[in-house]
Amino acid sequence: MYRIIQKRNIWLTISGLLVAVSVVFLILWGLNFGIDFTGGSLLEVRFTEARPEVGQVQDSLADMNLGSLLVQPVGENEMILRFQDTSEQKHEEVLEKLSGVNALEELRYDSVGPSIGQELKRKSLYAIAVVLIAIVAYVAWAFRKVFKPVASWKYGLAAIIALFHDVMIVLGVFAFLGNFYNIEINSAFVAAILTVLGYSVNDTIVVFDRLRENLPKSDEDFEGTVNTSVNQTITRSINTSLTTLLVLLAILFFGGDTIRDFVLALSIGVFVGTYSSIFLASPVLVVWEKLRSGE
Amino acid sequence: MSDNIFLKILKPSARGKLWYVFVLIIVLVVVGGLIDAGGVYNKGVDWLKTKTNDMVVLPKTKEIPFRLGLDLQGGTHLVYEADITAVDAKDRDSAVEGARDVIERRVNIFGVAEPVVQVNRTATGEYRIIAELAGVRDVKEAIKMIGETPLLEFKEKRAEKRELTEEEKAGLEEFNRQAETQAEEVLGKVLSGGDFFALAKEYSQDENTKENGGDLGWITEGDNSEIVGIVKDLDKGAITKDLVKTGQGYEIAKLEDKRTKKNPFNDEEAKEVKASHLLICFEGSLSCDNGLSKEEALAKITELKKQANKNNFADLVKANSTEPGADQGGGDLGWFGSGDMVEAFDKAVFAQVVGTISDPVETEFGYHLIYKQAERTVEEYKASHILIRTMTEADILGPQDDWKNTELTGKNLKRAVVQFNPNDNSPEVSLEFDAEGANLFEEITARNVNKQVAIFLDGYAISAPTVNEKISGGKAVISGSFNIQEAKLLAQRLNAGALPVPIELVSQKTVGASLGHESVSNSLRASLIGLILVAIFMIIYYRLPGLLAVISLGIYGVLILAIFKIWPVTLTLAGLAGFILSIGMAVDANVLIFERLKEELKFGKPLRSAIDEGFRRAWPSIRDGNFSTLITCFILIQFSTSIVRGFAVTLSLGILISIFSAIVVTKNLLVLIAGEWLEKRRWLLGVKNNS
Repeated sequence: MYRIIQKRNIWLTISGLLVAVSVVFLILWGLNFGIDFTGGSLLEVRFTEARPEVGQVQDSLADMNLGSLLVQPVGENEMILRFQDTSEQKHEEVLEKLSGVNALEELRYDSVGPSIGQELKRKSLYAIAVVLIAIVAYVAWAFRKVFKPVASWKYGLAAIIALFHDVMIVLGVFAFLGNFYNIEINSAFVAAILTVLGYSVNDTIVVFDRLRENLPKSDEDFEGTVNTSVNQTITRSINTSLTTLLVLLAILFFGGDTIRDFVLALSIGVFVGTYSSIFLASPVLVVWEKLRSGE
Repeated sequence: MSDNIFLKILKPSARGKLWYVFVLIIVLVVVGGLIDAGGVYNKGVDWLKTKTNDMVVLPKTKEIPFRLGLDLQGGTHLVYEADITAVDAKDRDSAVEGARDVIERRVNIFGVAEPVVQVNRTATGEYRIIAELAGVRDVKEAIKMIGETPLLEFKEKRAEKRELTEEEKAGLEEFNRQAETQAEEVLGKVLSGGDFFALAKEYSQDENTKENGGDLGWITEGDNSEIVGIVKDLDKGAITKDLVKTGQGYEIAKLEDKRTKKNPFNDEEAKEVKASHLLICFEGSLSCDNGLSKEEALAKITELKKQANKNNFADLVKANSTEPGADQGGGDLGWFGSGDMVEAFDKAVFAQVVGTISDPVETEFGYHLIYKQAERTVEEYKASHILIRTMTEADILGPQDDWKNTELTGKNLKRAVVQFNPNDNSPEVSLEFDAEGANLFEEITARNVNKQVAIFLDGYAISAPTVNEKISGGKAVISGSFNIQEAKLLAQRLNAGALPVPIELVSQKTVGASLGHESVSNSLRASLIGLILVAIFMIIYYRLPGLLAVISLGIYGVLILAIFKIWPVTLTLAGLAGFILSIGMAVDANVLIFERLKEELKFGKPLRSAIDEGFRRAWPSIRDGNFSTLITCFILIQFSTSIVRGFAVTLSLGILISIFSAIVVTKNLLVLIAGEWLEKRRWLLGVKNNS
C-alpha cells in the first residue's frame, strides 16, 4: 500500500505551487480571448497556387479600414485573417481583394457581433456557476448519510477545491499558450472547462464513494481509512484516465485542426483532474478532520 | 413435452433469464447494425440476389444517413437579431416566430436540405433568429436572399397621444415655476451690475456656450432667429430688461456688438435677395416630363419674357411655370442669401438690378426668368445669453410616432398578385391574407373607419388609404405610384414571404466544404487509432473480462451510432468529441467493475458471487460519477451555443448507453461465460488461482 495521505504535505505543496503559477500567468498575460468573446471576424483561406507573403496581403487590404487586421500564415497554404469589422459587405470585399493577390478558396469565415460576444461571456460564467452549484448539491446529497467524522457538505467543498484547482491550472496553461503561441479561448473552450468539471468530480466521487463504504467497518483511524480507500481506487483512477487520455491524445495528434485546442484543454483537464482526485481532494478531507480534532 | 417447453419459456430459470437477455442484446445489435450500415446490407442483398439467380431475395432496409453539422459538411450559421421595439410586448413572441417561418420558407426555396431555423430569446430580452444552412455552396447568395426578404407591416394612427397625468402636469408646472424664479434671480443679479460672463458660466443651462460666458459669436437672423429677435433692438453692450420666454426656456441676452455682414474673402457687404422665378424645363433637365426639347423650351421662355412685367409676373408663373407647386405660390422664393441657390441662378440674381426681370437663365432644372423684388444687407449680431431651461410636455412624453403597429403583419400574408386599378388602369398589388390575417384586417378596418391605415414596406409607408368601411374577406390593395415592373417585383418578393419585424445579421459562421471533409476524415481516423489503443490496453490489462468489455464497447458503439441516426442527432466535431469522451466513460464503468471483481476474487469468493458482488459494489460509484457528468451535460444543453450543445447531447446519450452496456451487456456476457472451466483458469481474470 502506498503511503499517499501520510505524505499529503508534498502533494498539497505541488498543487499549491501549480495553482500559484497559474494565477501569476493569468495576472501577467490574461486569457487570449478569441472573436467568440470579443466580437470581430475570422477568415481562413487556402491559396490554391502559391501563398503570398503576409506583407503583401496586409498591403492589399490596407485601405479597407478593417480595424486591427491580423494576418497569420497556418499550415502549408492557408492563412488566417482576423479583423474587427463584421459586415457581410466587408467580408466579400476582402475576399475579392485577396483573390486579386492570388487564387484562393475560402475555408472558414466567422463573424461575431460585439453584443453576442458579451452575451457569451455572461452565459459562460453563468453556466460554470450553475454547474458548480449543482455538483456541490449533488455530492452533499449523495453523501448525506456520512456524518462522522467529517460532515457531508465538506465532501462537496473538497470536491469544489479540487475542481477549482483543475480549472485554474487549465486556465493557467492557456494563458501561457495564448501569450506565446497565440492560442485563443473560444466557446468550445468553455465546453471543455465544463466537461473537466464533470470529469474531475466524477473521479473525486469514486474515491469518496469508497471512503463512504469503508468508514463504518474500518478499524483504522480516519487518516488510515482515507489512505486505504485511495489505494483501493488508485488503479481504477489511473486506468480510466489512461484510456480516456489515449483517445484524446490520438485526436490531439492525428485529428482535425478545428478541435485541437478543445481536445488539448480536455486532455490537460483530465490529467489534472485525476491527480487532484487522488492527491488533493482526499488529503484536504484529512486536514479538515485533523483541524477539527485539534491535532 | 410441448407443455414443458412452454412452461420453460414462461417461467425461465435464472440461467434461462440470462439467455433471454442475451437474445435481446443480439436483437438490438442486429437492428442497430442494420440502421448503422444499411447501405452495406442492401448491397449484400443485391449481391446475394444476382449470385443465386433471384433464388434468395432478402428484404431491403431503409438507408438512413447521419445528420452532419455545419463544420463537418460545410455550410453557414447565421444569427439575426430581430428588432421588436415597435411591437407590443404580448405580440413579440408570435412576431418573431412569424419572421422565423418566413426565413425558413426562403431558405427552402433556396434548396437547402433540412435547414434549421430557430428563435432564441436571450436573457436580456433580445430575440435572435438562428439559421443553420448545411451544405450551402454560395453563402453570399443565401445571405442576400434572406436580406432581401421584404418587411411588411400594417399600421394605424395612434388613437390618441398620451396625455400627461395629473401628477406629471403638477411636476411640470412646479419645474417651470422654479425655472422662472431662478431666471428672475439671475436677471436681478445681471441688472444690478453682476458680471455677465461669470453669471453665464455659473447659471446658464446652455451646455455649449456656458463655459465661454454664454458667447454665441456672430449670428444672423437665419442662424438663430429667437436670439436675434431679442437683441436686435438693443444698444451695444445692453442687456434685456425682462426675461424672454422662448421654446427652450427663459433667455437673458446681451448684445455685445453688431455690424453688417461682409464676405470674408473680398470684404464686400453680404446681401440678401427677395425674388420669384418662372421655370420652363426641357427633356434632359432634372425631374422634367413636359416633353419639350431644349430649343422649344428656350423659344417658349423667350416669348414669355417679352410679355412679362412686374405686375403680371406672378400670373405668368402660375400659368406657365413647370415647377411643381408654382400654380399656387407664383414662384416666390422669399429672402435668400448668396450660395443658397444653384450657381448659375445665384450669379444671375445677385448681378441683376432690383425691380427687373432677367433674360432666360439656364440651370440644371431648365430655363428661368427671375424677377428680383428687393435686396438688403445682412446684419450680424454678436450676442451672449444665459438660458434657464423650462420643460414642455414633449420632454416628458418623448417623441410620439404617428403610426403604431397593428397585430397584422407580413406573416399573415397568403398571396400577393399584380392587378390593375379599374378606374385609371394603374398597376396595384393585391394582398390576400390567411384566415387569421383576414380576421385581424376586419377588426383593424372596423375600428379605423374614416381613419387612415398604412401599409409599410421595409420601414416606409407605401400606401396609407383612408378606410371607408369595415373590410371583410381578407384582401387589401397597395396602390402606390409604381410602374408595372415595380409592382411585379414587389408581388414576387411578397410571395416569397414577408417579414413581420426587421432583422439584422449579427453573426455568421461559415465552413467551406473542403475544410469540413478534412476535419471529419482526420478526426475519424484519430478516433479509430485511439479506440484500438484502448482495446489493446483493456485486453492486456484485464484479459478475459477486458475482451468482454471490448465486445460490450463494440455493442455500445453499434447502438449509439444507430441512435444518432434515428434520433437524429446533428453530428458536429464537438459532438464527435463528446461521443469519444463517452467511450472513455463507458470504459470507466467496466474498469470500476473489474477492479471490484478482482478484489472480491482475491478475498477468495467463488466466481459467480464475486461477479454479483463486484457489480453490486461498483454500482454506486458508476451512478454517482455519471450522474454528476449528466448534470453538467444538461446545463450545457441549456447553454445554447450550438457547438457546446452538440457536445453535451452526444456525451449524455453516450453516458446513458454506456451505463446500459456496462451493467447489462458486460454482466450478461461475463455471467454466461463464467463456469467451472473459468473457475479453474483464474489467470484469465487477472487473478492467481486459489491454492
